[in-house]
Amino acid sequence: MITIEGVSKIYSANSVALRDINLHIKAGEFVSIIGQSGSGKTTFTKLLIAEEAPTKGRIKIGDWDITNIKTNDIPFLRRQIGMIFQDYKLLPQKTVYENVSFALEVAGEKSHRISQVVPQLLEIVGLSDRHNRYPQQLSGGEQQRVAIARSLAHRPKIIVADEPTGNLDTINAEEIIQILKKINEFGTTILLLTHNREVVNALRRRVITLHDGHMTLDQEAGKYIL
Amino acid sequence: MVYIGRILKFALQDIARNFGLSFMTVLILVLMLLSVNALWSVRVITNEAVNLIKDQVNVSVYFSAEAGDKNVSEINKYVSAFPEVVKVDLQSAEDVLTSFKQRHSQSKDILGALSELNSNPFGPTMIIKTKEPGDYKKIIKALSVPEYENLIEAKSFDEHESAIEKIQNITSRTEKVVAGLVLLFACISFLIVFNTVRSAIHTQRIEIGIKRLVGASNWFIRGPYLVESFMFSILSLAASIGLLYFALRFIDPYLSVVFPSGFSLTNYYNSNILYVFGVQFVCVLALTILSSGLAMRRQLRI
Repeated sequence: MITIEGVSKIYSANSVALRDINLHIKAGEFVSIIGQSGSGKTTFTKLLIAEEAPTKGRIKIGDWDITNIKTNDIPFLRRQIGMIFQDYKLLPQKTVYENVSFALEVAGEKSHRISQVVPQLLEIVGLSDRHNRYPQQLSGGEQQRVAIARSLAHRPKIIVADEPTGNLDTINAEEIIQILKKINEFGTTILLLTHNREVVNALRRRVITLHDGHMTLDQEAGKYIL
Repeated sequence: MVYIGRILKFALQDIARNFGLSFMTVLILVLMLLSVNALWSVRVITNEAVNLIKDQVNVSVYFSAEAGDKNVSEINKYVSAFPEVVKVDLQSAEDVLTSFKQRHSQSKDILGALSELNSNPFGPTMIIKTKEPGDYKKIIKALSVPEYENLIEAKSFDEHESAIEKIQNITSRTEKVVAGLVLLFACISFLIVFNTVRSAIHTQRIEIGIKRLVGASNWFIRGPYLVESFMFSILSLAASIGLLYFALRFIDPYLSVVFPSGFSLTNYYNSNILYVFGVQFVCVLALTILSSGLAMRRQLRI
């Protein structure tokens, strides 16, 4: 599914974000990528959605080599990778329904399909009864669920969740992880970037550890070890 | 079609959400267009005034009484052959005498002195009109040849020469000032629209970031800003046309006093409506699209 071969990201001689990363993530895996701040997790995400290009190495999503992806192809790549962030990145002046439908609108989906898909997505994350609320009227956990619904809009093969529980209490964090596990059960590959020890240990799935730009550990059914 | 509809929807949403900023942009464009129209009107009025004066300027060639009809006719043909000459009026010696008597009908001394003469002391007069005042020099030079020296008593152009030069100087300077002011207003408007779009993009950078993340194409992100530029151009042009015609209702009565020919700016704009406002629309649209394009290029790097 995701193949990363000898990837390095060097901003300057004193600023090396990733060094010679090699890994392969199979379709349908649930992988936690852990590491302290500055370990290269965010850069890893940016490389996957082509927000930045690697200095060295090659990145493939399926059979698609995105190492030197053309600017015009970037939107198509991003429709195949659902993104979830710690700060949710919702539009405050749009309702829950509009925040989800927005992702489909910008991709040119027809209106009747949007009106079919959005209620289904809200059903998956348990927010059907809140579709008319604005983000500021929701709890942190609910806002993150809206973000998850939006990330599913294009039926992506991969979901990258960058610290999705970072702003949440334990109960809400657990709910979000349960939703991600449910999505994973339907075959979607999940990449969870986190430094939440409890979450990672409870998952008992593959764990990749980054430290100072290096991949220091790759454990099957691993634990949070830095 | 779905894409275009959504781009329009997002553009209208942006205008509504940033109503204050949108209003200011249209207002500045209206002020620029009103200034352009004011300058345009000044130029039209100046041209009309210059044409009026030019129309009154001509060269009169006074032939001697001895100049025969054959010679006068030959000179008439010679002058008429110049491409610069628009019209040649020839007055016979008799016509000149009649005109002279009419002009001095109240002066018994002059009429008495004239009756003392046995013959008509006047020769024919030729009144030449050229396309441009500057062409008169060429005609005068062409007539200042030895063959015609004995036939022509006087040429009246010298009296108008300095006046015509002054008019040409004023016209040329006015045009330079007008061009400079239009350029200045265009530069100011460019900077204002550029900064308006840039601040609109800056305030919406989170939304733009989210659009990118969910897979919006570059054109889908840029489209609303281009549509906004188009709408700002249409709105500002419509408002400036309305204000211009309102102002003309007060200006035209004054012009009708100054120009006896019945010149009216309303008539001018009505006759040239497509040209005048078409040019202005294309220029404003080019200005807004260019400034938006530059602002987007700086802010929307993906």
